[in-house]
Amino acid sequence: MKNVIEVKNLTKKYKELKAVDNLSFEVKEGEILGLLGPNGSGKSTTINCLLSLLNFDGGDIKIFGKEMSPNAYDIKRKIGVVFQDVAVFEELSVYDNIDYFCGLYVTDKKTRKKYVEDAIKLVGLENFKKFYPKQLSGGLLRRLNIACGIAHKPKLIILDEPTVAVDPQSRNNILDGIKKLRKDGATIIYTTHYMEEVEILCDRVIILDKGSVIASGTNDELKKLSSTKEKIIVEVMDLDKNHIKEINTLKNVAQVTYKDNNLTIAYDKGKNNIVDLINYFKKEEITYNNIFVARPTLNDVFLELTGKELRD
Amino acid sequence: MFIHNFKYAFKTLFSNKMLIFWTFAFPIILGTFFNMAFSNIENSEKMKPVDIAIVNNHAFEFGLYKEPLEKLGSEKKEEKIFNIKYVDSKKDAKELLDKNKVSGYFIIIDDKPNVVVNKNGFDETIFKYVIEEIDSYIKITSNIGNKKIAENPNETGRVNTIYQYVYLDVTKKISEYKANIKDVSRGNLSYTMIEFYTLIAMACLYGGILGTVSINNVLANMSNNGKRVSVSPTSKAKLVLSSTLASYVVQLIGLLLLFLYTIFVLKVDYGNNLPHVILLSLAGSLAGLSLGIFVSCVFKTNENTKTGIIIAFTMLGCFLSGMMGITMKYIIDKNVPIINKINPASMITDGFYSLYYYGTSGRFFFNVVSLLIFSLILIGISVLSLRRRTYDSI
Repeated sequence: MKNVIEVKNLTKKYKELKAVDNLSFEVKEGEILGLLGPNGSGKSTTINCLLSLLNFDGGDIKIFGKEMSPNAYDIKRKIGVVFQDVAVFEELSVYDNIDYFCGLYVTDKKTRKKYVEDAIKLVGLENFKKFYPKQLSGGLLRRLNIACGIAHKPKLIILDEPTVAVDPQSRNNILDGIKKLRKDGATIIYTTHYMEEVEILCDRVIILDKGSVIASGTNDELKKLSSTKEKIIVEVMDLDKNHIKEINTLKNVAQVTYKDNNLTIAYDKGKNNIVDLINYFKKEEITYNNIFVARPTLNDVFLELTGKELRD
Repeated sequence: MFIHNFKYAFKTLFSNKMLIFWTFAFPIILGTFFNMAFSNIENSEKMKPVDIAIVNNHAFEFGLYKEPLEKLGSEKKEEKIFNIKYVDSKKDAKELLDKNKVSGYFIIIDDKPNVVVNKNGFDETIFKYVIEEIDSYIKITSNIGNKKIAENPNETGRVNTIYQYVYLDVTKKISEYKANIKDVSRGNLSYTMIEFYTLIAMACLYGGILGTVSINNVLANMSNNGKRVSVSPTSKAKLVLSSTLASYVVQLIGLLLLFLYTIFVLKVDYGNNLPHVILLSLAGSLAGLSLGIFVSCVFKTNENTKTGIIIAFTMLGCFLSGMMGITMKYIIDKNVPIINKINPASMITDGFYSLYYYGTSGRFFFNVVSLLIFSLILIGISVLSLRRRTYDSI
């Protein structure tokens, strides 16, 4: 598969602060690449550099095999962008907003009309065409924001945290829409700090922190980086210090935390751990309510690599 | 692409309530208030000639003051400046003054004109002003007479003949003097017209808000919409030009509404030079728009602050050109004339003023050209700053 984007040694400084530090990555045709990182990790700055909105201090950016520049209109024509902040005109209706932004790419009126209708359908705004942005809920507004960015059917779509502050229904709708766009052949860069979305959507993930890549690979490849292989969470009352001490000595246990009646046990190997734990509870006559078994998440990987949570 | 962006820029501007208020409604509301406040003052002043007394002594009877004053007191009702009561002595005049029957009296003592008033009011000022004007005119003509005698020493035996010629000249000029007095007083007293000229100036310059908003919408470092527009394959020049044109059209519609409202509802008389009024409005609007583009490009701040800058600049400009009191215009003209030479509000106000009072004069075109130069300078600076296509931060 061809590389749609090639970034080599990208560096962007704000005075002394390195927002992006020697960043290199590629995005292959048809894949969804997730840029994962906490706020301030350099995701949006990277996107703005990719789009030639920002000057950068070093590195090369090639999109569709050509050097990206502010005047590269042939490249820009194939890109669709959904920015983190909603960018729509308050004075225009839902339909007019999409038509306006689509019209900056597609001049033929008939084609544009079809594209606008398709975008409205994709994000599920059929019943809100004549509404104005201020009449829409936060979730619907985000959907409009996405429709404005992708209506012209771009080959490369950059989505910068499109689901921030969105209700679950709209989030599902947005994620379904993105899956459909990929199915239709688009290459997608998806930045977020929601690891669940990355796990659902992305073929490959780059984890950023302080402008640098700290890990990259598929979901499974990244999870293998974690020393935790299995995690068991149990709702249990009145555990004393001795119990916790004894649980710590059970087979494969790497770490035990007990907070708000929730016991979380991280294991460094992942077989028969739940059986051993239940047997211990029976032996000690400890009553438990709910018990969950979880595989390590990207957040665990991030936590281990950086010592902080993704949403910090 | 140009038409597409123009269409939506126009629609966006026209649907923006804040913009419509400042550019359409606010000037009309202000105009209505001006009309209510100032037309009464002006009407009452026009309808009341000043009551004066003149001591009809020998010096007055055979002097040069008699003819012009009689004319100013006995003209048709609407042109009359003075209600004159002729009295035989100073004592009678003083008695009328003490009883407030007259605002002042005029007496010639030892060939010198004297104006006596009890207080410093509006009527008293007019009275003194007219007498001073007549006096200065007489002095000028007397000097001409003396000069003619000096230039013709051989005619010394015929001094009376020379004086006769001069006298004829003087009396002729004095008889024409009535019109001059009327012109000058009309110019100085027309509060309403000056207010409406500054109002139009303000409406023109408020177009700057439209310019700011439309430019903000297409620049990546100014707004989120600007970011989205900037990543599209449309050239910045096309976007800026079509958006600016849309702002200009919206602004002209606002100005047209203001003119229609003031002409047909408020009955404001802008004179008969409509093409020139339009020319000046176009130039003024361009200056306003340029101001908006300049503020949008040069000041790195949010849209509300930019709007505030334009409103503040416009109000200050209009204040200095006489919106809140005509005296300010004269103070600036007299003491720091350069301010009104570079103040676009003053250029527009003065353009209308000169058009109304002097017709299509050099002064009018000077103002039009000044506005165009002002616009060119601001647009030039803006274009230079717009040439940067990427930003260090957004």
